[in-house]
Amino acid sequence: MTTSPVSTSTSALSPSDDRLNFPQMIAIPALERRDYAMQTWLFSGVFWMVVAASIGVIEAVKLFHPEFLQGIPALAYGRLRPVHVNIGIFGFMSMGYLGAAFYMVPRLTQTALYSETLGVLTAWAWNLNLTGGVLAILMGFSKGKEYEELPFPFDMMVGLLEISIAGNLFSTITVRKEPRLYVSLWYILLAIIPFPIYYTLGNVMKFRGIEDAIVNWFYSHNLFGLWLTTLGLATLYYIVPKQLNKPLYSHAISFLGFWTLAAFYPWNGGHHVIWGPVPMWVMSASVTASIAMLIPTIATMVNFGGTALGTQGVMKRDISYRFSILAYLSYVATSLWGSTLAIMDLNAKLHFTSTTIAHVHLGFVGFGLAGLVAFVYFYLERSLKLGYSRTLAEWHFWLTTIGIVGYVVSMGWLGWLEGSEWASGNSVQGVLELRYGYNVARAGSGGLLLIGQLILVWNIWKTMTSPPNDDAGLDDLKSVSLNEGVAS
Amino acid sequence: MRFIREFPIIVALSFLFGLAFTGLVLGPVFASDIAQPSAKLVAYTPTEQAGRHIYVREGCVYCHSQQVRNVKADKNMVDAYGVSKAGDYYYDLPHLLGTSRQGPDLSNEGQVWGKASGDFAREYLIGHFKNPREYNAQSIMPAFNYLSDRELEELTDYVQSLGAWKVTPDPTEAEAQS
Repeated sequence: MTTSPVSTSTSALSPSDDRLNFPQMIAIPALERRDYAMQTWLFSGVFWMVVAASIGVIEAVKLFHPEFLQGIPALAYGRLRPVHVNIGIFGFMSMGYLGAAFYMVPRLTQTALYSETLGVLTAWAWNLNLTGGVLAILMGFSKGKEYEELPFPFDMMVGLLEISIAGNLFSTITVRKEPRLYVSLWYILLAIIPFPIYYTLGNVMKFRGIEDAIVNWFYSHNLFGLWLTTLGLATLYYIVPKQLNKPLYSHAISFLGFWTLAAFYPWNGGHHVIWGPVPMWVMSASVTASIAMLIPTIATMVNFGGTALGTQGVMKRDISYRFSILAYLSYVATSLWGSTLAIMDLNAKLHFTSTTIAHVHLGFVGFGLAGLVAFVYFYLERSLKLGYSRTLAEWHFWLTTIGIVGYVVSMGWLGWLEGSEWASGNSVQGVLELRYGYNVARAGSGGLLLIGQLILVWNIWKTMTSPPNDDAGLDDLKSVSLNEGVAS
Repeated sequence: MRFIREFPIIVALSFLFGLAFTGLVLGPVFASDIAQPSAKLVAYTPTEQAGRHIYVREGCVYCHSQQVRNVKADKNMVDAYGVSKAGDYYYDLPHLLGTSRQGPDLSNEGQVWGKASGDFAREYLIGHFKNPREYNAQSIMPAFNYLSDRELEELTDYVQSLGAWKVTPDPTEAEAQS
């Protein structure tokens, strides 16, 4: 199989290297280690997750104690907010779940990744680019629209890098040895293919006035729906059956869920401007599509619910699986909540309130973070065969759970109160006093979340750096050893 | 190449995405009320535009919306200034509609603290930018005391332009009369 010097040098390093010989294979021997690309992506995602959470806590404190870090332009609330969000989207969620995608694609296709080298290089380029973009926002170069704040040239670079990533994954899928496409691969295809279109549209094209707003939300919602949600669901569809050691409840239902999601999600953007100054049909189309999102949501709910039925034993034993369940429940709750928020009357009351913030965080932390963490633990124990500290993982799980519940309940309830106050004629200034306690509760929940994630990082670090079968970890190893006694 | 069975999936996905693209991106381009400015709307002056840039840079949009909706929660604003229309935003690039109201809606701030109120309004706005808690102890707005005097002037110009055009006489009517 070794016909060129490049593949000769790499085949020694990657044992499973039986890929087709691509005409221009991109390979630097030092980077051609199996799973090197996915590790770079995944752990970069974990790093950014902690950064995003830290900035989130700083902002949360500023919302009840505005003097905190006051007077430093780069740390003003209005500059930290886009940094928090962009790191959350392009750092934590994108990178973490791309790590999962780089893990899943070679395994589901039974084919070595087209290029580990390209994967590693794009990951580092993505990291550098995001760092540059974020610093530019802090220095005051924000483009100013939500989720497209990264200024030129950093925004362009994200698009170009995504094309290289998509090319890498897509090439692997195209030359795959396993003819069947598992549902995770459908979701990955949906994630990687349309991204450059709506990303360029949102970031590079210039529109005027309201058209700008409509395109902004078309882009933003596709970013959540077609990029983050699909990558997240792909990961859950992959790890849950493996964690349970049993097949998915129904492939027909996942088929239904996938195609309805693909049909309705791209229409959702307009629901951010319900009651706004947009043409009526933009609103009606988006409201209809948002409510139609109940179909894929319920399909996913039934499918995972059916798979998870009667697995309490695994839940007790396997923390990774417990995080999957947290992610699953949060996904269903976020989606049902999202559909509800698009109902015109409810939107009239809750738009502009803290409910939106609660909703977003349930999606990003409840679904996004928990799903990613489930994958991290899954990867450590299943793929690397490493035993992480069970005690630290328990702490991580409970701090995360309490944090997310505290966050969503405090902000969700505050949003409802704000909506009621405003509907009865009170002004924004009139609810400032009401907000204080809830904002403190939010910062506290965020603090717990942050501590939980720091514990995760510590746990990963100790697990990866300590030699295997270390006697200190004997108990831990036992507690996470897998598949023993899985109900069959 | 073997097993290119993902091809039909990609065609179907492109079709579904294309439908939404047509509806939400291409469609609005042809909507008449978006493509024309509102009757009395005036373009931003250079200083107002500079102020708008500061508004974008400092992320004011994350806490202040600029749209009045025809709903109960906005009733006071609707009564005073009317509902926001697509044409009102004709000169806005980027749009600053906003998604959250940590602070009040600013789409008619140019009438609340307008130029008509003279130096008093201007001094209030600049003082409030520098230290909001001097005026409202409960305010959580950041203190923009790091902006230069010139930047504060520009930002004030911009804020005073918001919605102010609604109460000025229509320039075409004024011309017709003279």
